[in-house]
Amino acid sequence: MKGYRYADEHEPPQAKQVTETTITRFEHVYEVDPDLMTEHVTQQTFPNWDTLRIVHSRHDHLDWMHRHWAGTVISGEQILRELDEP
Amino acid sequence: MTIAPPLADEVVEELVHVLGTEHVHTSKTARMARARVPAPFPVHRWADYVPDLVVTPVTTDEVAEIVRLANRYRIPLVPRDGGTGLTDGARPERRGIVVDVKRMNQIEEIDLDNRTCTVGVGINMLKLNEVLGVHGLIYPDNPASYPCSLVGGRIGTSGWSLVGARFGHSRDLVLSFDMVLPTGDVITVGDGGGRKVTKSSTGYQLKHLFMGHQGTLGIATRATLKLYPKPEAEFSPFWAFEDFDDAYRTLKHLSQAGIATFAGAVLFDEWKVAYLRRDDEAYIPQPGDVRSLVCAVAYGNEDEVRAGGKRLMRIARDNGARYLGDEISEGDWAARHDRYATPLHGRTRDGQVVPMSWHCEDSAISYTELPAVKDKWHAIAARLRERFDAFDDWGMFFYTSGDTGTDFLTEIDIGIWEQRLDDEMWSAWVEAKRDIAAVAVEHGGSISACHGACREGEVDLVPMELGGGYDVMLKVKRALDPNNIMNPGKYGLDRAYEGEVSAR
Repeated sequence: MKGYRYADEHEPPQAKQVTETTITRFEHVYEVDPDLMTEHVTQQTFPNWDTLRIVHSRHDHLDWMHRHWAGTVISGEQILRELDEP
Repeated sequence: MTIAPPLADEVVEELVHVLGTEHVHTSKTARMARARVPAPFPVHRWADYVPDLVVTPVTTDEVAEIVRLANRYRIPLVPRDGGTGLTDGARPERRGIVVDVKRMNQIEEIDLDNRTCTVGVGINMLKLNEVLGVHGLIYPDNPASYPCSLVGGRIGTSGWSLVGARFGHSRDLVLSFDMVLPTGDVITVGDGGGRKVTKSSTGYQLKHLFMGHQGTLGIATRATLKLYPKPEAEFSPFWAFEDFDDAYRTLKHLSQAGIATFAGAVLFDEWKVAYLRRDDEAYIPQPGDVRSLVCAVAYGNEDEVRAGGKRLMRIARDNGARYLGDEISEGDWAARHDRYATPLHGRTRDGQVVPMSWHCEDSAISYTELPAVKDKWHAIAARLRERFDAFDDWGMFFYTSGDTGTDFLTEIDIGIWEQRLDDEMWSAWVEAKRDIAAVAVEHGGSISACHGACREGEVDLVPMELGGGYDVMLKVKRALDPNNIMNPGKYGLDRAYEGEVSAR
């Protein structure tokens, strides 16, 4: 078990440039390029766990919204496979 | 308690007698919080729209008492049913009393045999559906504001639903409602006189007169709603296209296919895709050759949704679509209400991020007119942005209103840096809104499919769109609200009283 280390939480993973205006630090988590947030809106320091908590909470919300509206979600990928079946 | 100076002590005392002290709100915070809605707002003139006081009744009788009192003293009344509307319906133009219905949120009856429920208009659809879900039922009125808007607001604006092509819109789903008229009389309107009737031929269809009243014809207090079985299954594919024309053609074929479980289709244009890449990177990171997106939605019994889904997928594929995969499709559809919950940010012309509010101009446009309207609206937005960095074009989308592909909710989203607004920028914005509405009318459409049309700018063109129908509106307003106390200043209805003294 790994204990909480302040330094680890406040050093986000190295950013990868995705587009001219977008970076990513965590898998499937996209951020506005920090260079575009220097004048009118500046970025806050976020511990890594809090970034991931927000992302996971969002996924929980989206899953909830599906369940709220219907019993199941039909997979488009499966439908596509069925269309290709002879 | 801070007493609002413009209203006499005796008025406050009478209201306290009817409602109790705790439900007559005179504090600055209570009043300032009810000055605006999410529609574009001149924040530099906030004080102009602060009501004198706020009341929070809980029964129809209390509402009727408030209305009668307002008539005696000639005080403007503004109903506020959630305050989530986008056409300023709940914005007080002449101060007065805001009637906030949020406490009228009771579920009075769930009638399982007749598939209806009767509720106070202050209930939110999401909260209602949590209760209905226990019975395997749903009230499928689904605006972007679904988590926060109220049934009464849906009546006040004649709301549009994201799944309206399958289940109908608010006008179809609300079977009947109690209406406190501007004189304090209470009537029930529906199809005919029955509260739970979906089709009647008795008399005038008064329900539709009061649908979309924007607070000008009274205050709705109680509604009976039509319920459906909660869908067994949902299908929400998103497809990418290399050009707008292919996506536009696909939209037609999807929406005209006659699929019974079809609940809607939406086309996002090149500007919207660019915006999604820029500001919603978390949801649609797409390569540069993607220039338009189309989504379709189906709800119903699982076997029927699967069958319909196959047909939708085949249509899209035959028209050159590339399926974006389950993760993006399912996530993006589930995120359809996000606009009311997420902080938004636009760009200055040099690319810097700025905090912006989301403002959308919507119209109802026939399918064949969509490309021309798109070009004209973007040109209007471009001229605005050339002059002021406080405006940003966030793209357009086109969304089925019905199940035959006849007309589409057509919307352009414009980011506004509200903190930078001044009178010059506000005037330019109002002019742009008027131009946008003019294009809709010029192309045979309607100024609004969804939000209503009583904001500055667009409201000037309502008489042009409605023609002789607008004169009838004036006569109805004059007949039902002799003292012009209900939301005065909206829809230009003051002209019904020209030459007379009315509420402020």
